[in-house]
Amino acid sequence: MEKKEQKRHHPKHSGPKAEKKNRKKEQGTEQEQDARKRNPKAFSVHSAVRMAKTFHRTQDIKMKKHHIPLVDRTPLEPPPVVVVVMGPPKVGKSTLIRCLIKNYTQQKLSDICGPVTIVSGKKRRLTLIECNNDINSMIDLAKIADLVLMLIDASFGFEMETFEFLNICQVHGFPRVMGVLTHLDSLKNNKKLKKTKKRLKHRFWTEVYQGAKLFYLSGMVYGEYQKQEVKNLGRFISVMKFRPLVWRTSHPYVVADRMEDLTDPETIRLDPKCDRTVSLYGYLRGMFLKNKCQVHIPGVGDFSVGDVSFLPDPCPLPEVIKKRALNVKERLLYAPMAGVGGLVYDKDAVYIDMPSEYVKQQQEEVRPTAELVQSLIGTQATLDEKMAASKVSLFTGTAALAPEEVQENERQNPMERREWDEKAQRERRRAVFADEDDEGADDDDDEEETDEEEEEEAEDEDEEGEATLDKKAAPPVKKQKFEESVEMPGFADSDDELEKSEGEETEEDESEDDDEEEEEATVDKKAVEKAAPPVKKQKFEESVEMPAFADSDDELEKSEGEETEEDEDDDDDDEEEESDEENEEMEEGEPAKRNSGPDSGLCSENDNDDDDEEDDSDMEEDGDRILKSKMSSKHPEEEKIGTEDGEMGFETAGALRWKEDLAQKASEAYLRQQLATPNLRKLVYGIVAEEAEEDSNDEEELGGLFKVSRPEKSKKLHADALDCSRFQPDSSHDWDQEEMLASIRDCFVTGKWEEDKDAATLLKEDDELYGDFEDLETGEVHKAKTGNKDHAEENNDEINGGDDDDDEEEEEAPEVKFDDDEVKKNKRLEKKKRLKERFDAQYDDGEATYFDELKEEMQKQAELNRQEFEDMDDEARVQYEGFRPGMYIRVEIPALPCEFVTNFDPHYPIILGGLGPSEGNVGYLQMRLKKHRWHNRILKTRDPLIMSLGWRRFQTIPLYYIEDHNGRHRLLKYTPEHMHCGATIWGPITPQGTGFLAVQTIGGIKANFRIAATGVVLDLDKSVTIVKKLKLIGYPHKIFKNTCFVQGMFNTVLEVAKFEGASIRTVSGIKGQIKKALNNPPGAFRATFEDKLLMSDIVFLRSWYPVSVPRLYNPVTSLLKPVGQKDTWSGMRTLGQLKHDLGIRNKPKQDSLYKPIERQVRHFNKIQISKELQKALPFKSKPKQMQAKGKTPRDLWRPAVIREPHEKKVAELLNALSSVYTYKTKKAKAEQHAKHKEFLKQKEKQDAERQKRLKEQKKKTYRAMGQKEKKKLKSSLKGASKDN
Amino acid sequence: MEFEGCNCFRQRLVLSTLSGKRVKIRNIRSKDDNPGMRDFEACFIRLLDKVTNGTRIEINQTGTMLFYQPGLLYGGSVEHECHVQRSIGYYLEALLMLAPFMKTPLRAVLKGVTNDPTDPSVDYLKLTAIPLMKKFGIDGNSLEIKVLKRGMAPGGGGEVLVTCPVRRLMNPIQLTEPGKIKRIRGTAFSVRVSPQMANRIVDSARSILNKFIPDIYIYTDHMKGANSGKSPGFGLTLVAETLNGTFLGAEVVSTPQGQGNPLLPEDLGKNCAKLLLEEIYRGGCVDSTNQSLALLYMTLGQQDVSKTLLGPLSPYTIEFLRHIRDFFQIMFKIEQQTPGEDEQKGGEKILLTCVGAGYSNISKTIK
Repeated sequence: MEKKEQKRHHPKHSGPKAEKKNRKKEQGTEQEQDARKRNPKAFSVHSAVRMAKTFHRTQDIKMKKHHIPLVDRTPLEPPPVVVVVMGPPKVGKSTLIRCLIKNYTQQKLSDICGPVTIVSGKKRRLTLIECNNDINSMIDLAKIADLVLMLIDASFGFEMETFEFLNICQVHGFPRVMGVLTHLDSLKNNKKLKKTKKRLKHRFWTEVYQGAKLFYLSGMVYGEYQKQEVKNLGRFISVMKFRPLVWRTSHPYVVADRMEDLTDPETIRLDPKCDRTVSLYGYLRGMFLKNKCQVHIPGVGDFSVGDVSFLPDPCPLPEVIKKRALNVKERLLYAPMAGVGGLVYDKDAVYIDMPSEYVKQQQEEVRPTAELVQSLIGTQATLDEKMAASKVSLFTGTAALAPEEVQENERQNPMERREWDEKAQRERRRAVFADEDDEGADDDDDEEETDEEEEEEAEDEDEEGEATLDKKAAPPVKKQKFEESVEMPGFADSDDELEKSEGEETEEDESEDDDEEEEEATVDKKAVEKAAPPVKKQKFEESVEMPAFADSDDELEKSEGEETEEDEDDDDDDEEEESDEENEEMEEGEPAKRNSGPDSGLCSENDNDDDDEEDDSDMEEDGDRILKSKMSSKHPEEEKIGTEDGEMGFETAGALRWKEDLAQKASEAYLRQQLATPNLRKLVYGIVAEEAEEDSNDEEELGGLFKVSRPEKSKKLHADALDCSRFQPDSSHDWDQEEMLASIRDCFVTGKWEEDKDAATLLKEDDELYGDFEDLETGEVHKAKTGNKDHAEENNDEINGGDDDDDEEEEEAPEVKFDDDEVKKNKRLEKKKRLKERFDAQYDDGEATYFDELKEEMQKQAELNRQEFEDMDDEARVQYEGFRPGMYIRVEIPALPCEFVTNFDPHYPIILGGLGPSEGNVGYLQMRLKKHRWHNRILKTRDPLIMSLGWRRFQTIPLYYIEDHNGRHRLLKYTPEHMHCGATIWGPITPQGTGFLAVQTIGGIKANFRIAATGVVLDLDKSVTIVKKLKLIGYPHKIFKNTCFVQGMFNTVLEVAKFEGASIRTVSGIKGQIKKALNNPPGAFRATFEDKLLMSDIVFLRSWYPVSVPRLYNPVTSLLKPVGQKDTWSGMRTLGQLKHDLGIRNKPKQDSLYKPIERQVRHFNKIQISKELQKALPFKSKPKQMQAKGKTPRDLWRPAVIREPHEKKVAELLNALSSVYTYKTKKAKAEQHAKHKEFLKQKEKQDAERQKRLKEQKKKTYRAMGQKEKKKLKSSLKGASKDN
Repeated sequence: MEFEGCNCFRQRLVLSTLSGKRVKIRNIRSKDDNPGMRDFEACFIRLLDKVTNGTRIEINQTGTMLFYQPGLLYGGSVEHECHVQRSIGYYLEALLMLAPFMKTPLRAVLKGVTNDPTDPSVDYLKLTAIPLMKKFGIDGNSLEIKVLKRGMAPGGGGEVLVTCPVRRLMNPIQLTEPGKIKRIRGTAFSVRVSPQMANRIVDSARSILNKFIPDIYIYTDHMKGANSGKSPGFGLTLVAETLNGTFLGAEVVSTPQGQGNPLLPEDLGKNCAKLLLEEIYRGGCVDSTNQSLALLYMTLGQQDVSKTLLGPLSPYTIEFLRHIRDFFQIMFKIEQQTPGEDEQKGGEKILLTCVGAGYSNISKTIK
């Protein structure tokens, strides 16, 4: 095609446009005004109303953007983001997870069970969890998910599960939801594909929000999604931002990724159904978790936490943030339930999953010695522990067993069976319990420890299912413990100072990370010496590093030792060494203490209830503190000395080394002490671990029968002391003395001020700022600084008796020059800051709104929260704050039901949801509830319902009610169809404003949409106020005029007495009042009405009867169900279900049955009107006596006329004549009409002309008149001016 | 939770009510000649029962054991006859701890002894506790303690109106700078004695305090007739206000009629002034009597860091800290701040820091 030549632009050379341009050119930029100035008309106010409207609108838009500012409580190192992959079965969830894992970590995970944690980027970790098609899991996971990947089978469309899950999410705070369309390759037609995509997208948007992200995974390549698409998805996940959800930010929770059974194997052996102690591991999320708090495990129940401890992060983020991408080493994967993540840390042990070949190789040599030594160490403990230890050896199969025991074992203990896992390429052990027969597992003859099994189960559970199917027993290989603590005692005995110092040197060389390890290792060691719990599968302690720090005996441990003196009970060599050192410290400390004199009385406990032991430790502490404070006072010098010492040490070799150590040790100890245990803290909180010990000591028994009664006078006195908050004054202060008075002089405004707030200094600063000025009147020149300052000083002197810091500083200046410079610099900076502040205050004053202020405040708080405990070590920090979110913690829970362990299935999420104060209690909850519009049946009062509220899932019996206009809560039999109503349940106390959802059953899918109702908690109470309408019916028994005796309503006089004065009514609408009871018949009463009653009337009394809410609170224990049947939990059945199941049919009351309505035709008699009345009535109203005429009878009909031929002719002629006539007249009329029209036209024309003329004439005259007027005016004005 | 002895009786019950944990106290004066709970303790339990709903209380025959299962705090209009063994302050202290967490705003009328030497008096709490509560965001006109009638120690007959609004959350506080004292205020009261007594008290107190600051004003409050209760007596409450809004108080009340030596009004004034100086010496942002109140509100705050500077901890506060740890698992970081060499600001101070429990008022209804 030829391109058409377009007309070129011709700039104007003349005219207004050109002129404007020229002007612009000449004046340059000056002409460039803003639109407002250039075109003021456009911006002028035309309409005040409109202006107000636009203003309101802009303000509205502005305000809509605001959210209530919240304190940002996200931890510095946040826990991994929980990504829940959800979708109906066979939609490709596992494949997606596998692809994502591969995308992030380049690892392949064959079987995904349990949460998988991966490092996805420099700052982000992900925990991927697959949600199976069980409403229990869906509910639980919706509560913890940060991001939901909602898989949708595009070839099929949406499924109910998707919508159910979305609704669950909505109730429990909406996490981020991202849709993923799969199976797109099954849509071959391109157009159809496009249409499907669009349709699904729009439906998804209506459910989530407009513009929600929907991802397309187009097709599979070799059983995986396309690499680029997964990569894109991964990118989306990595940059996604999350907003805090109320419930989650106010409750701590842990998604357990690992479970270990810690129960004593002996108790399990004795009673396999005994309650278990279990430790669960996972990242803490949400909020600070306190030790000993209550948790709820959805699907199991409420438990109080036995012990919480934090562990090193198994899947840490890269330590330093580099610019480059992560390398392979940093891309970690942690999924203990799936059997990945070879190294697993525990509080007191490290586990390594080892390939079987390695185990075989090591087995023979190492195991026996390690066991022997361990048992030897173990025997140093008490008898009980010895017993425990002996059990250990029993289970690992080293010690000889009594024959009966062996037999018993064969019967009771689980058998081990090895199976080769093709996918994981490693050998796995399978536990086969004797009593598991019924569950489908067959037992082998091999014997293995129960405990080990319990531990392993976390990993093995998944295989169990397969294994039972396969029944391929691989060659058995045993796992065992590696205890390299063999060599340790050798080092531990050596209390040689020199050697130790060497150790410490080496220690100091190591980085911080090593320190951590050390600590752990030493803790390890201790645990071993205490005959550690025998339930270890593969315990391995780093033998290489061990000697280096086995004796290096870090101070950390020592300080712990001081704190937890119970540890000293299991006396071993290490501890002795420690105590030696402690003594040393004591010796150092005590003299110092003597010097220091009496304590300042900062904490005046009224009596020393503490034990001697504690006193001692206190003294020790004191000593330490003072020593340290001394050191701190000469800190800078000390450092120098330290370095010098170091050099000296070099020269004189070993001789002075210990001294050098001492200084370092002391300073270290000081720092640690500063961080960990101030004296006061000890006084207030005592020694945390010691308390239990003391308690046990109290109940010391003599010979088992008699108690030693000690004169615990002080304690008793203390226990029953006066309960008064007054703090009696210190008697040592005598307020008559001048010194005492002087000591508080500065507390008053009249006293001396701090330097930065002193009026004098402030003035001076002002002077510096606004500096020199010349007084024009006097001609005096004022200089900044000099005069004023002196003046200020004088003032100061007068007030305080003269001590001035400024002067001192100046005097010091030549001595410490560097410092001075620094000081000056600081001062300058400070001044600048202050200036800026002042400027800001002035400048921003107009614009700072309430919202801004609030935001600022929150930000400050957040900053403070971050900084307060930042420089503490975790051990101490945990005590103050609790465990902070982001930590990897281990939670020990005692007394879990055994089914939790035996029926453990890693495919189901285990969540530890922390409960706030009083959330563990049960009470009445009032909630606003609405039946879900997709649920196709209304809900009946008193039908049990399963609710998901807070962390919990439980069955309860709700009563529905509606609030009447007067605030009465009236019971409803059923929920309204499309309306909110109230519901009251007996359930766990949950904060108001928490959302909940209700389902009728969780076992199987019966309804087409399972979510029955949703709502929110409004109020908590310990009593209910629901009432039900009750009509009491009575019958008249005797009727006087307006008084009536009524019977049958009550049974006794007493009942009547209660209702005296109550208003009653008859069916016909006559109102009345109860007056007084009658003696006979009992229950009858006298009542008055506004009219006379009939005997056929029925009297009723409308009353309200309070209803009690059934106290059913039945937590759903779905996790305790056997594997594979976890979704079959069924609680209480509804009445309807029960009847259905039992085949009971109600016999309805005959009255209530519907019968066909038969209506008889009614006949009415004629109205009789008297003759006189008839006469008097107007005609219209007179009864019509005459009958209607009716048809004329045939005989009265008139006959038809038949014309003669002549007559016919005449008629025809007449007809023709008349038609001619009509035609003529018509024609004449038309003519006339046309003429008239013409005439009208003519007339109009004439009229117009006339009008025109007239107008002109008028104009002329008016003009003349106007001119006249003007002239007149002019002349008058002239006249006026003349007058002037 | 189980405890022994009647020590810290109020603390335990109050914390139990707030945390929802049930409490069992055993061996209440079990070794005493007169074992069991005293009347005032029973009266206190009754008061708790009145402001709560669904509380279960079990006391054994001898009164040496108490089981307390807390209900929900209800509030509303409450009238309570406080036993005269302890003054209203005893009950009021606990009530103030609970008041912001009720379902409906509290409006309590407490009758009994308004001033006695053992407990902090109503005036004292009015002058110190109320401004402290305001710092935590409990404000509004309805936060008030009003002395309707005054009743002195043995006889009682006083009446106090306490109103407090309801809050859902407590604000975190940062009270690290007490500021300098700008004025001293006080009330000298006298009932059923010569009104001159109050003036004598004022003069003597001023004689000491005038050395420090000129801005002193002490109101005299002489109640007559029906408002004067059943016993004679007089007393002085002083409060020092700082620039930063810290209130430090002291009070002395005449010895109750028929108990011990009578006190001269001049001595009383001087003693009270000295007590105030002592309190100033201790210093901090919260006075020694209200330490526990401040610490409780800090504990019940949102999960933010709260800080407060206190004078030396009183034994009562120390017990309270322990109980807070038991009930809420919250430990305070305790740091000492020794005053500098040349500073003349009284004794050592203690900086207490904690992270709030994230407590929210579960009784309050939302609509």
